[in-house]
Formats: sequence, C-alpha cells, structure tokens
Amino acid sequence: MIGGRMSNESFITLFMIGVLVVLFGVSCVIVPRFYLPRNMINLLTNNWYIIMLGIGVTFLLITGNFDMSVGGVIAMTGVLSVWFCQDATASQNALAVGLGLPYGVAIALALLCAMGIGAINAFFIARLKVPSIIITLGTMMIARGVAQIVAQGAQRNTSLPDVFGVLGGLTIPGMSVKLSVLVMAVLIVAAFVFEKKTVAGRRTYLIGANSVAARLSGVNVRRHLTSLFIISSLLAGITGILLSSEFKAGGASRAMGYEFDALVISLLGGVSIAGGFGSVLGMFVGAVILSVVTSAATGLLLSPDWQFTIKGVVTFIAILAQRFALDKRKG
Amino acid sequence: MELTDNVLEIRDLVKDFPSVRAVNRVSFDIKRNTVHCLVGENGAGKSTLIKILTGATTRSGGSILLNGEAYTPHSTRDAKQHGISTLFQELNVVDQLTVEENLTLGMEDTTLGFLRKTDKINTMVNVMKSLEPSITPRQLVSTLSVAKKQIVEIAKAVATESDIIIMDEPTAAISESEIKRLFAIIKSLREKNVTVIYISHRLDEIFELGDYVTVMRDGKHIDTKPVSEIKDRSELVKMMIGKTVFEQYTPKEGECKDAILQVCNLSNHKLRDISFEVHEGEIIGFYGLVGAGKTELARAIYGVDPYEGEILFRGKKLPPFPDKVIAAGIALVPEERRSQGLFTILTIRGNVPVMNMRKISRNGFINAGQERKVTLDYIDKLRISTSSMEKEASKLSGGNQQKVVLAKCLFADADLLMLDEPTRGIDVGAKSEIYGIIRQLSKEGKSIMIFSSELPEVVNICDTIYLLYDGRMKATLRNGCDIDSEKILHIVTGGNVTSAADYRGSGDGGE
Amino acid sequence: MNSAKEYTLRTQLERSNAVRSNIKKLYIYVVLVLIVAVFSVVKLGQVEFFGRGHFLSPDSIINLLRSAVPILTLSGAFTLLMISGYIDLSVGSAMSLSAVVFALMILNGFPFIFALPITLVLGVAFGFINGLLVMKLRITPVIATLVTLNLFKGIALLIVPHGLSAIKGSAARPMPAWINDYARTEVVLGLPWAFFVAVLIIAVLIIIQKRTILGKYAAAIGGNRTAAELSGINAVKLVWLLYIIVGFFAALAGMARASYMSLGDPLSGDGMELDCIIAVLLGGTAFSGGEGSVAKTIVGALIIVCLTTGLMTVIPAFWQTMAKGSVLIAAVVLNHLLVREKASA
Repeated sequence: MIGGRMSNESFITLFMIGVLVVLFGVSCVIVPRFYLPRNMINLLTNNWYIIMLGIGVTFLLITGNFDMSVGGVIAMTGVLSVWFCQDATASQNALAVGLGLPYGVAIALALLCAMGIGAINAFFIARLKVPSIIITLGTMMIARGVAQIVAQGAQRNTSLPDVFGVLGGLTIPGMSVKLSVLVMAVLIVAAFVFEKKTVAGRRTYLIGANSVAARLSGVNVRRHLTSLFIISSLLAGITGILLSSEFKAGGASRAMGYEFDALVISLLGGVSIAGGFGSVLGMFVGAVILSVVTSAATGLLLSPDWQFTIKGVVTFIAILAQRFALDKRKG
Repeated sequence: MELTDNVLEIRDLVKDFPSVRAVNRVSFDIKRNTVHCLVGENGAGKSTLIKILTGATTRSGGSILLNGEAYTPHSTRDAKQHGISTLFQELNVVDQLTVEENLTLGMEDTTLGFLRKTDKINTMVNVMKSLEPSITPRQLVSTLSVAKKQIVEIAKAVATESDIIIMDEPTAAISESEIKRLFAIIKSLREKNVTVIYISHRLDEIFELGDYVTVMRDGKHIDTKPVSEIKDRSELVKMMIGKTVFEQYTPKEGECKDAILQVCNLSNHKLRDISFEVHEGEIIGFYGLVGAGKTELARAIYGVDPYEGEILFRGKKLPPFPDKVIAAGIALVPEERRSQGLFTILTIRGNVPVMNMRKISRNGFINAGQERKVTLDYIDKLRISTSSMEKEASKLSGGNQQKVVLAKCLFADADLLMLDEPTRGIDVGAKSEIYGIIRQLSKEGKSIMIFSSELPEVVNICDTIYLLYDGRMKATLRNGCDIDSEKILHIVTGGNVTSAADYRGSGDGGE
Repeated sequence: MNSAKEYTLRTQLERSNAVRSNIKKLYIYVVLVLIVAVFSVVKLGQVEFFGRGHFLSPDSIINLLRSAVPILTLSGAFTLLMISGYIDLSVGSAMSLSAVVFALMILNGFPFIFALPITLVLGVAFGFINGLLVMKLRITPVIATLVTLNLFKGIALLIVPHGLSAIKGSAARPMPAWINDYARTEVVLGLPWAFFVAVLIIAVLIIIQKRTILGKYAAAIGGNRTAAELSGINAVKLVWLLYIIVGFFAALAGMARASYMSLGDPLSGDGMELDCIIAVLLGGTAFSGGEGSVAKTIVGALIIVCLTTGLMTVIPAFWQTMAKGSVLIAAVVLNHLLVREKASA
C-alpha cells in the first residue's frame, strides 16, 4: 500500500490532541464554569505570545538546539521600542527622555537589535559549535540586561507618540480578537506551511535527523542554523513590540520565564531534542494543553505559584507518555 | 589446569545472515603463544569470525574451545573477561587520563576509595615499559601518537593477562618506523604468554610477523599453514583469490571525450600525491584494500576534508565545500550508509529527493505530487522492496537502504557520480541491477567514480582501474585486456610494481 | 608533505602546545588578581586603601567571603558532575527549596540536630530524582534538570504561605536568633562556621577529584564512556551518585543561605546554576567532560563573587544582569580558546 501509513509525527500530534481532549473533558467536569465559549476562545488565544516564541523554539529544537534567549529579547525590544520613540526633549525624569525617532524607525531599529541577538547566537552555536543551552542563556541575560539598563530596572512608559498603542490595541472589527492574535495565527499557519511544504523547512528536519548526512547531501548547515536563530529572535522581537504596544510600556521584567514556557509547549507537542522530529502544530496543541491545565488550576482556585510545579510535572509526564506511545507503536 | 597446545579450537563454525552465509563451516586451530595471521579479501568472512570471537555477534552453529573449554561470549566485555582482548580501529583509551591511569582503569587498588600506589601499578608500568620504553607513565594519553596509544592498549591487554589479543589492521594509521616498533612488540608477546591473532591485508607483514596463517575465502576456510611453509607472496595470493570468475566486460564504444575532472598532486593526512583524470562518460574504478585511502580521496574531492593540490571540474577550480561541489555537478554515495548517507528516522520519501529539491519544488514550495512520483519512480527503477514509501528508512534491509542512498544521489542529476563501496552488503541480484544502472548512466554521458574493495565489481564495469595502497596510486589498468588478479592483489597488498607488464595486465593473466 | 616540513610543523605544534598549556595553568589566577586589583583602585579617589569602604577592607573581605559560602559549598561537586559530561540546571531551585524547608523547621522549633540531617536527606532525594531522570529514564540532562528546576521551585513557592515572600519570622512568631549561627555569626576572624565548612568541603572534593576512584572514573566516563564501560565501570551508577552528591551540597548551600538571611526565600537560589556554570567554564572544564579541576573552579567562583560584590559598589543594580551575561559569554569564549573539546562522534 504505497503512500498509506501515517507518519510518527502525525501519530504523536494526534496522540497529544487526544490528551488535550481528555484533559479538557476532565477540566470541564471538575472546574466550575469551565465550559464557556468565552473561556474556550481564551484558551486558544491568551498565550499567543508564547506560541509566537514557540515557532522559533520548535524549529531550533528540531535541529537539536535550544534558544533560551527569547524572553530576554522580548523585554529588550519592548524597552528599546519605547525608548527610541520617546520624546527627545530633556526632562527631570531620565526615564521620560528618548531618542525621538519616528515610530516606524523605532520599531525597525528595535527589531534589528533583536536580530543582532540571533546573530550572536548563531555565531557561537553554528560557527564555534558551543552548546546552545549555554550561549542562549548568556544572550538571554545580555538582552534582558539591555532592557534593564535602558529602563533603569523599571519601566519606560511616558512621552510616547499616540501611534504607539495602536498595534497592541487593534482588534478585528466585529470580533474581540486582537491584532496580535491574528498575527500569531497567520504566523502559525505560515510556519506550518514552511515546515511541511517548503524546501527550507525540509532542510530543518534533515539537519536534525542527521547533520552529517545533511551536509553531505548539500545542505549548508551553518547558514541554515544562522537563519533559524535570527528568525527566532525576530519573532521574539515582534512579540516584544506587540506587547509593549499593548501595555504602552516597555518593562525590564517583562517576559520572565517565557523561554521556558516556549520550551514546555514544544515538548508537550511532541518535539524531541534528539532532533528531526516534531511539528509546530504539535507545539500549538501543547500550548493549548498548557492553557487548559493552568486555566483549570486557576479555576480550582490554586494560587499562581502552582504553575511551576504543574509545568514541571506535566512536561515530565508528556515526555514519558510520548516515548511510551512511540515504543508501543514500533511494536 | 593443564594448558592445552591450542589456545583456540574452532569447529564447523557457521554464521548466517538473512541473505548470506558469512561463515561457512570454518574449522582450524590456533596454537598458543604464536602470532596467527588471518587473511582474505573483503567479504571472505574474517570480520564476522572475529566478531563471533569477541562476542559482538552470536554464531549460528559450530563450536569454539578456548583453553579446552566451551566458549560462548555474550559481549565484548564478556570476551575480555575470558581473556580475549581486541584492538579496535577506534582506540579505547581515555585521552584525558595519563598512561598509568589508562592501564589501571577498572582495576585499581583502593582503600576506602582512595587510589593506592601498589605493586600492581608498577607491574603494569613495567609491562608497558618493556614494550615501549619511551612512553612515560605520567604523560597524558592525548599527547601520544596513534601508534603509541595502540601500544598502551596492548600493554593493558597483556598486563590483564589476556590469553589472546586480536589486532585488526593495526598498521593502517601508523608510520613505517612505528610499524617496525609495533612488530618487535608483537613478536615479544609470545614470550609473555600471549597469542596474537593478526588481521591484515598487507601480505609483507604476514611474512615478517606471522608464525601461522589462515586463509579464508567466501566464508570458507581455505587453509592454515605455518608461514615458513609458504614459498612466496604469489602462493598466498593464489589461496586468497581462488577461482574468481569475472563477468564479461564490454569495452567502451566511441572515443574518449573531454576530461571532466582533473586531479593534480592531491595530498592530505592520508593521501600522497594523487593525480588522475576522469573523462565524460567514463567509469573509473579505485581499487584497494582497507586503509588504502579510497574514502579519503572521495571525501577530499567532495570538499569534506582539507587537502593540498588542485582539483579542476570542467576546467574550473572546485570549491572545497560539499554544497558547492554538489551544485557544480558531483554527488557522493558515502561509505557508511547508515551514519552518513541516510536519514534513518525519515521515510523513503523523506530521503530520496533531498539532493535536488529544486526539481520537485517551485519557488521554494515542494510539490507533493511530484515528490511522490519521483520516489515511486526510484522505488521502481531500483527495485527497492518496501510496502510503502512512507516506511522509515531505519526499518529497511541493508541492501534496500543502500538503494535509497543511491536513489538520492541519482536524483541529484550529477554529471559525476562518486560511489564509495556501492554494493557492500547487497545481494547478488541487486548488485547486477546496480551495475546495469551504472552502465546506463555512462551511456548517457555521465561519469562515474567507483571506490571499492571488491575486485570483481571493479573489473566488471570500470573502464580504467587505479590501484591504491597506503594513500598512493600504485598502478593504472586499462580494462579490456586480460586482468591478472594475482598481480593486482600483489600490488594492493603492498607489493612492488616491477614492470610495465604490471600496468597492463599480462597476456597470460586471470584464471 | 616531506619529512622536513613535517618536522618543522610538528615542533611548531609542540611549542604552541607548551605555551598553551602554560597559559591554561595560570590564566585564571591572573584574572582573579586583575579583578581584585581593579576593584581595589577604582574608588581610590574616595576611600583609602584598606580603609573603610575599600574593596580590600576587612569588613568588605569578610562580607565577600560570607556571601561566597553557597557557591563555594556547591561548585566543587558541580565540577565533578560536569567532568563526567553531565549537567544539573536544577541546583538553584534545589538550594531554594532546601532553604525554605530548613527555615520552616527552625521557625517551628526544630533543633539544629534535626533540621540539619533532614535538609541534607532532602538534598540527597533531589539528586536521586535527577539521577533517575537522566541515567535511568535517559532523558537529556538539560531537559530533565529544567523539569526538576521548575518542580523544586514550584514546591518551594507552595510551601511559603500565601501573602508572604519567604519563610520568615514575624512579630507573633519570631525566627530564632540562633539560625544565624551557621552562616552569619562570627566565629574566627570574623567568619562564620559555614565558611570553614565550605573550605573543608573544597579540600575534600579536591582530594576526591585527584586521588580517589570517584574522580578518576568521572573523568574516564566524560572522556570516553565506551572505553570506561569496557573497563568495567558502571557509568549509570557512578553518574547517579554524582547527581546525589550535587543535590546534597545544594541542600547544604541552601541551608547556609537561609542561615545567613534568617529566612527561607523560595527564589534565593535563582541563578545559582548559571554562577556554577560560569565558575566551571572559567576554571577550564571541558563542556563535554573528561577534564576539569575543582581547584580552578573555586578560583572561578571567587572571581564571580568578587565581580558581583565589586560591581555592586560601582554600577547601579540594573546593570547586574548585563554584567553577568557578558561574563558568561566571556567565560565561554575563554573556555573555547583554551580547552580542546573532544571530537564529537
């Protein structure tokens, strides 16, 4: 039966969808008022920013690399985008004075800085072959460090041009769906198409499956990894800009721990650090699973402090469950 | 316990694989405290025999007596505990530790965990020093040359009272003077109550080192004799090749066209001053045994390893990067299919189109229909037996895996195809299919370079055959004249090229 | 390549190797001296040498050493683990959780001779879990220890009562003053017990690394696991043991932190794993394992502590993260230049 059998990846994605359905069902039963349309939409959309990060993180995980710098990049671009277009007139409050650039220029520049972080990551990881976990933790601190310095440990949120809050506040007429969520949706679809249908997407899997064979088959591994790291940082930068627009402020402590969340949803979605295996669709499912679990926890009046334990336990169970399911499948 | 005369007695040993009987009722004895050489061409069954002795694989039939007792090892560690140590190609020393620490690894004397300096260490160091006095016990193994690392491994095996040390092509990576030293050490092992099983293609080494030699061919035991009773090289060579029937070679029609690849004075860590040309539509063969430099040559041309010298492809300098080499029109089927050629966790469909995505895509978007069509095409053309193109590559048999790798490279539409051991581990039927494909490609004007350690394969299809030994190109043969396989084997095992007759293959050649 | 050329190439290589290994042995001491020197002169306009407020004043040195206690306690064991080629990113959270539990026990009237062993057993449990995940279940060390990082952190946060930021004393129920006895109360030369315990631990670990079978086998496994296992070494058991040891010392470090601060802060250990990694990298341990030195890691740890405390007086607090990130990157670069990683398969 040529062309038949479902791939392992689709199997795991379906498996996690099954897990999601079960978890959702259980939550509906034990958590009051869980089964509300508004709640369900929220489940899909309220961690749009983690999903944005998840795209880059997933692709890098598929190649066998981590990117833990994304949280710091969000903070950095957020603060920089504010600073760049804050009014340049001198003032008592240093945090109210910026570079006075036009909004468009400001965000372009901030995004450029984000890509700079990606380039640094790529240099050390693709070129010097330093382990990705170490370097991206370092660049995470550097990016966050920039945010902290420019915002002096606090926030920048004054003397902003009016146009600043537009992007974050925009909603689709008729629905209460934010522009950010739309951007996320579009990017997820684009990422899925990229992964399944483009040559570049295929190369990502090749590198993860066997980087030696990939090189011998003509893939320029170094160039490809560099692109992926820059894209990941760019996505984080876009997220940072949208978030700072939404809050009309750039804060030094924004997005703490987001990089770990992005990692968690990828792992929940079945992406394997061993490389060559996983899907952004799975990552999306993983994001919804995380949403359901944290939302149920909130609904059960568990304090927000539970999230760390929950994330740890859920990730652990997911890794083992996926391994078990795949082993059973291989028979 | 009385020590038997024979340290090892092998009786009717059989090893079957799904498609071939690799070891076919082999029986012979290995006398204690001798250097016993094992020779035979590739595929003769030597490696499988050794794998059985070292516990890396289980036998299908027959028996082995070690020191008079039945012997069935379950693992390499098990074999080691029974007294059989092996010197592998991948050195099993820890570079970051000192010589002394490596020697005592796993056998330290301790008090409450503290390493003690005992006589045992001195004994082992003395064994080491008696083998190679220039190695100091306190130096880091990472500072030693490959040859000296080997000696450290030998010392450890001796000091742990191994009865047998198996050495598989130990001279492949070391220099002439180091070889001399190694031989002196090996000879001295006999006085230390150690039997050495020595595997090598370099026949001169057999004569210099061996007390006994066992010749295997096609999985069968041919003969075991004292080396002193063998007259000369050619007698040994005759035993090794027996009656090899070569398929009829059809000479090329038409004129030789332009040179598509020109290699001048190529040298690197392994290769020495290699020069040759490949013409359009030509099939070139590089024949040599293990360690001759075939793979190194392929890798250098492909841009994977650095080199000195000049390589011109279509008159232009070939950039030393695999992706650029492929773009220029050269494709390589690598030697190790599982680790270098195949994406084992991907499906057949995921593997085949990889080297020429442009052909199944437009503007960067893959055309799934074309991808499937192409994959099915190659499954059909190469007769890859599978129930589905969605089958994971790791689940295919060795022969089918190789076909997938071949399909991958064929799809690259290269003008020059390099095949490194293309039919290793493939059954006879599939082999001739592949040869047919190669001939067809040549007719279409493609050039092919085959790197192989199987002489019949090379003689079967190649127009020109280059003989390699120790990184050097020793001789060139134009196919079509009678091939004297004895003379060829003589050259690739290190013999000297003495006359012009060696170059052409003499009139009385072959069988 | 003819033999004359080979010969000159080889002697050049040997010479550069010799220079390289000399640099390798000494650079870290040079760095430490430089850093101390820089901080000693940076405020000379305002304060006197060795006087009040100066980096090398007695008060300052004591303060520095006291705050160095946790990393000094922990980084030796961390080095051993990294020598074997494995990593533990959960040490910070393990430390926090131990601090929380310890403070909780003290606050509730447990005497020291109960609180101490219970905390340490907890640390052993942490290490056991990590070892189980990594060695038995064969989950990648980075992911496995990130999972336990969150697990331990989560449990610590849950123990601390809602509304409070840490386990601490209040007017109604004060924290017993003797909690400071371990890590704050001055014993000799103005330094607390914890410091001397840390020194003892360092000495013991240096001896373990250089003179015992544990140290040798860790290096063997990190250097060439196949060769080690062929020689009969049980890598699973040994690395598991190393994880347990790391957990044990993480708990001890947490206890020291709680003792010093008189409270159990569930976030007190955050970032400790990064500090340990920087110390280890500065100390010249290869990331893939096989070689490394506890002694040099300790020097690296001192460098970090000097940098952190020194920078605090010179730059505003919100420059700290940038500084630490730059130090990490610098340590990576240094490590890359000086340590030859073993070739990957």
